[in-house]
Amino acid sequence: MECVVQGIIESQHVEALQILLQGLCGVPKERVRVHELCLKSGPNLGVVPSEVRLLCDLAQPTPSWTVRHVGGAMRGAGAEQISVLVRTIVESKVGHNVLRFFYSLGYKLDHELLKEGFVFRFQRGAQITVTVTSANKMPKLYATDEAVPVTPGIQLVEITAPAAAENYSEVVAAVSSFCEYLAPLLHLSKPGVSMGIVPTAAAAAASLMSNSGAKTL
Amino acid sequence: MPVKWLMHWQPNQGVTLTTQILTEACQCVESQLGGAKDGRWKTALTYYRPALREASASGDLPRELLGVALHDQLGSYYFLLRAHRLILQADSSMQALMDKLQSYKPRVVLNFEVEYLPLSSIEKSRQILEDFFDIWQDTVKKRSLPGHFILVEPNFADYGLQDHYTPQHTAVQYATCMTQLMAAVRN
Repeated sequence: MECVVQGIIESQHVEALQILLQGLCGVPKERVRVHELCLKSGPNLGVVPSEVRLLCDLAQPTPSWTVRHVGGAMRGAGAEQISVLVRTIVESKVGHNVLRFFYSLGYKLDHELLKEGFVFRFQRGAQITVTVTSANKMPKLYATDEAVPVTPGIQLVEITAPAAAENYSEVVAAVSSFCEYLAPLLHLSKPGVSMGIVPTAAAAAASLMSNSGAKTL
Repeated sequence: MPVKWLMHWQPNQGVTLTTQILTEACQCVESQLGGAKDGRWKTALTYYRPALREASASGDLPRELLGVALHDQLGSYYFLLRAHRLILQADSSMQALMDKLQSYKPRVVLNFEVEYLPLSSIEKSRQILEDFFDIWQDTVKKRSLPGHFILVEPNFADYGLQDHYTPQHTAVQYATCMTQLMAAVRN
């Protein structure tokens, strides 16, 4: 299982967000460059349709592949009240022939994206991962070198933390509490619940940039 | 990684295989060839079939997907598509992932209890293992046991595998072994 929240931020404020995260996490950022392929089952395959994501990590010298299945979100009155999404997730590292494998099984490419940006991974009440990326689409199949932003000027921030049935309420609390630190710059909420950009973001960003001594663009 | 050769026992026509026969065949190695039993290990093979919305129209979907869990590679899982000569290596969580997808369902699970009695190059080890295999077959024949071992001989190159032995080679041997066994049963 994992806990997840998302938000959007204007690209011009990403540097300020980076400074804030650097201060809060105490770890260096890592580069993100992931080719994400979303595959869906063909028309006759499976009693219900299924979807799987193949992630190719292009940030390392040797590309490596992971396959990911995102399951349903936790339901019930308790789930409605918390501001963090709790959902099942299964992931596996796989060999390079995974795309050919799923095509052979009868899965088809639904869409692909190139996600570029950075990530902070740290421990703060839970194992938290903060990813800030721009989503890019490819004009031609698999053409990662020709990718262009889907939403120029806007980047996606995602915070995730692994959880288990026994401890998810502590993980939810840790994630919610961390989100409060980021409130001046961005709204974070359950995926699918759009909160838009924060009106105070510009002022907060300016303050962060001047405090850190960084030059504004 | 040490090379592993898989063999299956072919009983003589009309003979039923018993544990007694196999125990005697293994004893040949211990008494005549100086081998020592290292203990048992379990390997599991799962045959998956596609779940179809319309049973009649399977189209070009593979009829069979094979999953292999090797006892000595507990963190890994291997999927084989023999029709496509494809082997995929994954973490053991891949089995749970396929279950979640519900597109391929497990139909038969076979558990192998194997006696392991421990060269990474297949070509270099071939002569040594062939000699050993010949000696073992001779010893078995002298005991007049009603059957003989058959070596599994898959074409590793078909799956894109190299001469250096890996767990993927073992998974391919299991898949080929099952084909040979099923062909023997049919004949």
